Amino acid sequence: MSLTLYHRHVLEDYLAGFEAKANPNHLSVIRRPAIFSVLAHRGNEASVKQALNSIEGALLHDCAPGEWLVVSTASGAAVVENLLGEITGASAIDQSDGRVLLRISGPNVRKILAKCVAVDLHPDAFSIGASANMLCCHVAANLARTGAEAFEIIVPRSFAGSVFEEMMEMGREFALTAAFAEW
Amino acid sequence: MASLITCPHCGTRPKEEFSIRGAALARPHPAASEEDWHAYVYLRENPKGRYQEYWHHAAGCRRWLIVDRDNVTHDVFSVTDAASIREPSE
Ligand SMILES: [Zn+2]
Repeated sequence: MSLTLYHRHVLEDYLAGFEAKANPNHLSVIRRPAIFSVLAHRGNEASVKQALNSIEGALLHDCAPGEWLVVSTASGAAVVENLLGEITGASAIDQSDGRVLLRISGPNVRKILAKCVAVDLHPDAFSIGASANMLCCHVAANLARTGAEAFEIIVPRSFAGSVFEEMMEMGREFALTAAFAEW
Repeated sequence: MASLITCPHCGTRPKEEFSIRGAALARPHPAASEEDWHAYVYLRENPKGRYQEYWHHAAGCRRWLIVDRDNVTHDVFSVTDAASIREPSE
């Protein structure tokens, strides 16, 4: 007997049937991103970071000294895993099924996020390319700034529903919409 | 009163991101006497005033930090990564 496994996103029930035309303030739920947690062995922090930065199509999120999340929507998890395996002095583990990637953007994104995180997101304090672990809607998440009005949020899969609902509520006054996106 | 701690890795964060794990005491030598170990494990001064504590940045970098603060006024004098003060003899 063969077993067929279907990919079903954890936010499927939150979004199916509610997807609307995107408003200026919009939250995208990325369907199948490749997310890897990478830890540099002691003394290899700088060389590992350099190697990670040179991976094409992957975005590096800072977590802690010598720890990153590598996110790719362009390549699948198997491709990224092979590339990470070539880096010496680092350990990588596939988190693609354990984390959910959200992208929020729009003219009011900072006003929405001000109700979700307790970190100053002014461009002087948190510039484009900056990223860090922080509490987002009471959940330990990773937040990265990808543009002047665009952020990426990575949350643990089991908390994604709670974070999603709270963010939609915080965005209601700004007509925040949400939908799945392939990348 | 806002209780903000400036993590050396993550920047200024609210205390909700941290888990306070008690006085930052020097660990006795493995061959130290039973009295020394008993004191290290169980006995605490619980001072009023300036105090060094372990704070775990649970929702941030997940590093152990040593927060030097006054527990009456909540003046924070320094926040350092606990690994940076590890004894060289280790
Ligand atoms: Zn931290």
